[in-house]
Amino acid sequence: MLHDFIVQFWPSTTDGLALGSIYALIALGYTMVYGVLRLINFAHSEIFMIGTFASLGVINLMGISTPLGGIALVGTLALLIVVSGTVSGASAVALEYIAYRPLRRKGASRLAALISAIGASLFLQQLFARILIPWWFGLPKEKGALPIQGRFVQREDLLTLGSFVIRSDKLIILVAAVVMMVVLDQFVVRTKLGRGIRATAQDPETAVLMGVNIDRIVSATFAIGGAMAGVAAALYMLRFEETNYFVGFLLGIKAFTAAVLGGIGNLRGALVGGLALGLIEMYGASIFGTQWQNVVAFVVLVLVLMFRPTGILGESLQKARA
Amino acid sequence: MLLEINDIHVHYGKIAALKGVSVEVDEGEIVTLIGANGAGKTTILKTISGLRPLSTGRILFDGRDISSMPGHKRVLAGIGQAPEGRGIFPGMTVTDNLLMGAYARKGDFSKDLQEAFDLFPRLAERKDQMGGTMSGGEQQMLAIGRALMAKPKVLLLDEPSMGLAPMLVQQIFSIIEEINRRGTTVLLVEQNANQALRLAHRAYVLETGSIVKSAPARELLDDPQVRAAYLGAGATD
Repeated sequence: MLHDFIVQFWPSTTDGLALGSIYALIALGYTMVYGVLRLINFAHSEIFMIGTFASLGVINLMGISTPLGGIALVGTLALLIVVSGTVSGASAVALEYIAYRPLRRKGASRLAALISAIGASLFLQQLFARILIPWWFGLPKEKGALPIQGRFVQREDLLTLGSFVIRSDKLIILVAAVVMMVVLDQFVVRTKLGRGIRATAQDPETAVLMGVNIDRIVSATFAIGGAMAGVAAALYMLRFEETNYFVGFLLGIKAFTAAVLGGIGNLRGALVGGLALGLIEMYGASIFGTQWQNVVAFVVLVLVLMFRPTGILGESLQKARA
Repeated sequence: MLLEINDIHVHYGKIAALKGVSVEVDEGEIVTLIGANGAGKTTILKTISGLRPLSTGRILFDGRDISSMPGHKRVLAGIGQAPEGRGIFPGMTVTDNLLMGAYARKGDFSKDLQEAFDLFPRLAERKDQMGGTMSGGEQQMLAIGRALMAKPKVLLLDEPSMGLAPMLVQQIFSIIEEINRRGTTVLLVEQNANQALRLAHRAYVLETGSIVKSAPARELLDDPQVRAAYLGAGATD
């Protein structure tokens, strides 16, 4: 066991960071919406799923015949990020408008919104499974994974030091995720819209007194969180090259775990929680075997909820409600 | 009349919080609403700034009926508020809190920030500190300074003296007087009736959702009923 862990330490680390980057980006959507509305948006996993299909569509349309590397790969990824980010962001805004806003207007309880979230999640999954995928791919009924056509990514070893190998695709994913997180963090800290989001998270009633249009802030929050899930979807397609209608389910729960682990409501916590969970999973898999990967992840969730329910960094969007 | 509240009724569920309240505030005045806890003072301010919906009645501001205007637009119309409990954003710096006051406006706010820091030098010393870590008096200064950042025509103040030491109360009240002298109309809600009546031009007395008295503030200071109910039986002079 320990021997496996040592032998696989570096591969586990790079795999964990790449996977953790994807968790972190999805976790942002959970954490931002929770910060502003105190709602766990359980349909966020489907926003991610929609993003993977947007990327799949673009890749298939481009008809890539030889695996891409270098600048061509980075350029293609940038295109996928823009398309998936836009599609997922717009889907998230529409989701809020249809599934949550009418409840908010009526002053319904948070439990009602939560049930609406679960309903929206199932609806979107089934919409893809039974209508969109059969129509798009000409299948009678969606069954398994839908791979992209042909080879897409050329996976090169950029640097090899003994057992320590950096592979191009994993490096790109980690860099892209960290860049997006830094941009978002600066956006929330420095811009006027970012101030409005923070103010609404800390004290929505006083925010209205300042002239903040809460509906607009909520839409912006869903748009940003959705777009980040779209970015995660593009990176996921780069890494795994296939998707399906329930791809969001497990990833969504894992990303939610990452958000709780880092401290829900806290943007930097999403990054810390995502990367930590990715690493824990991969190290756990190398010690206990890959069949235990998910068990390790959810044991972590239970332990966090038991011993440190505010997560590693705690709440910061609404810190110190004095 | 700058602000005219016309026979408003407000309900929390089935409970009537305001039962036909009318209040007028003229430009340049300091008007105070006094009354016991739960009389509906805070509800009046929240209704003026659009946080509570009207059941019936009208609110006119600056010649316009704003009864159904959404809350966030009333700031731009000219209504600024320092809410009950001060409403400081705890995880934002003093500067960010002040900038939130100017959220509805466009342009460069460095001059307005400077004005707020001139009025409250204490805030300038702490401009990078988180709002939630400040003392009650400092938070009250920040709440007033933040409301002024919106350049309001009328400033609504909800219990600015709450929880403050007597020295600080004096300071806050003299600042309110100064703000009024510079041309901002003030509607002040207070439980500290003695101080409020000394500062204000006119006053309304509120009891369980209705106005029971309205008069020039000086007169109410000498009114035996008001003295007994709100100024304490042993109040001198």
